[in-house]
Amino acid sequence: MAMTNSEEQISENTYHIILNDLTVGYDGVPLIRDMQIGIRKGEIVSLIGPNGSGKSTVLKSLVRQLPPVAGTICLSGKDLIKMPEAALAKHMAVVLTDRVRAELMTCYDIVATGRYPYTGRFGKLTPEDEEKVEEAIRLVHAEEIGKRNFNAISDGQKQRVLLARAIAQEPEILILDEPTSYLDMRYKLELLTILKRLSRERSMTVIMSLHEIDLAQRISDKILCIREEHTFAYGTPDEIFRGDILRELYGLDSAFIDPCFRDYLPAGPGSG
Amino acid sequence: MAGSSAETERKQTGFHQENVRRRARYVLVFLILIAALAAITVLNITIGNVSISGKDILRILFLRSGDQTEVNIIWLIRLPRVTMAFLLGGALALAGFLLQTFFENPIAGPFVLGISSGAKMVVAVVMILMLDHMQTVSSWTLVAAAFAGALLITAFILMISRRVHHMASLLVSGIMVGYICSAVSEFVITFAEDSDIVNLHGWSQGSFSGMSWANVGTAAVIVLAATAAAFCLSKPISAFQMGEKYAQSMGVNIRTFRIALILLSSVLAAAVTAFAGPISFVGIAVPILIKKALGTARPLVVIPGTFLGGAVFCMACDLIARTAFAPTELNISTVTAVFGAPVVILTMISRQKSFRD
Repeated sequence: MAMTNSEEQISENTYHIILNDLTVGYDGVPLIRDMQIGIRKGEIVSLIGPNGSGKSTVLKSLVRQLPPVAGTICLSGKDLIKMPEAALAKHMAVVLTDRVRAELMTCYDIVATGRYPYTGRFGKLTPEDEEKVEEAIRLVHAEEIGKRNFNAISDGQKQRVLLARAIAQEPEILILDEPTSYLDMRYKLELLTILKRLSRERSMTVIMSLHEIDLAQRISDKILCIREEHTFAYGTPDEIFRGDILRELYGLDSAFIDPCFRDYLPAGPGSG
Repeated sequence: MAGSSAETERKQTGFHQENVRRRARYVLVFLILIAALAAITVLNITIGNVSISGKDILRILFLRSGDQTEVNIIWLIRLPRVTMAFLLGGALALAGFLLQTFFENPIAGPFVLGISSGAKMVVAVVMILMLDHMQTVSSWTLVAAAFAGALLITAFILMISRRVHHMASLLVSGIMVGYICSAVSEFVITFAEDSDIVNLHGWSQGSFSGMSWANVGTAAVIVLAATAAAFCLSKPISAFQMGEKYAQSMGVNIRTFRIALILLSSVLAAAVTAFAGPISFVGIAVPILIKKALGTARPLVVIPGTFLGGAVFCMACDLIARTAFAPTELNISTVTAVFGAPVVILTMISRQKSFRD
């Protein structure tokens, strides 16, 4: 299935981010080919797909850790690959899965690094910067752990602090790689609520990979299904959860229906 | 008003007060370092094989008058020596901090990674080759040779670090490289002319003795320029401490930054080796102690703190080296190892957890 927006034409004015025939992969070897996608400002886009399907590869290309194999990524009409680092940092913030080696840093310090693109030569925080940092900490409800050493808190708490760090960077685009990984159910929902708020109140465009397809359905404006090579789909949750797309994506036997998705997948054999 | 409610919330969370408290701690640590620096400088000038009274020293320092031998001891021996210990001690500790940042390894340093030994090897070869043809070798030539040696070994260690991801393995590789370089140096020195050996032997073991003002001048230019440059990199270093990928996402050009870090740490380690030979453990121990004292790894305070700390540490060790068994002088590394190595061992024990991964 070719992956395109439902709209016929992808124009620079309507979309915040455009993936133009984007092919991504490692060392010039294509993994996912010819993505043609437009993402509107303030949209929440979730990447779903089996483990190892290439969700992270797509995200890495978006944050410029991997050069695209072919095609371009346009950000507000500009070529993302050609943007200077410092300029891009004001547009885009990330929450990565990499372990953060934060030596002698409090959670506050970690969040404060989000102000990096805005501070002066020596990175000194102005009172406004301090206010932005504290606002981000409050937004993720991390006030209590703010003064604690980052290495002394739980993985779930770290995830929230890293989200606060990204928020303090005041980006237009937030990119998150498996942000729900270490969280229990309550914090997963809390995290998604925060992301929804950012998208609605600050028109932040959110692009993330998610393991939980039920959560993806609940929060996303658009879902990007990724499977190696050509098998993928892009559309609203309704479009994606209708028909056989999910079953095909995860290679599920039609007889196997997870109770979780009873409502969304056509039940019983032969009904698709 | 949203502003005033934000203001009250700020007071409640107390992050601002916390920042003020931390700044007070930085000031306190720096005051202690400066006081220690002053004290150790005075001790270094007043204590020595020839005892000179305090009154005479003051007269010699400020009026340059008095017994000519005593004037020479103060002005041509003790003062250049203490100045050199200040400059090179600071340089060595700072090189350690930069390497620890670069390799994301808390116990990296120019000595354990073999960089000092590499610099020493090239210096020894250049010295012997040039002394055969000319009477003297300029200090700039020695620094350039040391820099080439430092870069050579750093490049080699970098190559290894691509393949070896375990912290401890990297250090073991560095120590082995250091042994190879030392072996080559010893080999070259063994076959050098007799007159050179006297000179080379003291230097190759590490020592601050016999410093001329010309050497001090050269070292000052190199070390102070590199230190200022490192200080100007405080901001990207702080981003890099979060990890390379986060640093990139914050707008750091990683390639340029890495090259700058390598060049600066090599220049600093090279300057030390060219003038004083290889000195162990200052590069590892001082940054660890300073970070502990400051309670932060923020480069903006850690860089000047590390420089001052390294200076004080080396000046104190040099004082012990030349006075403990006077008139016999100890190698500076003998003393720095006694105080520095335990710090490294304690760090390894306390970091056991992070060391495992």
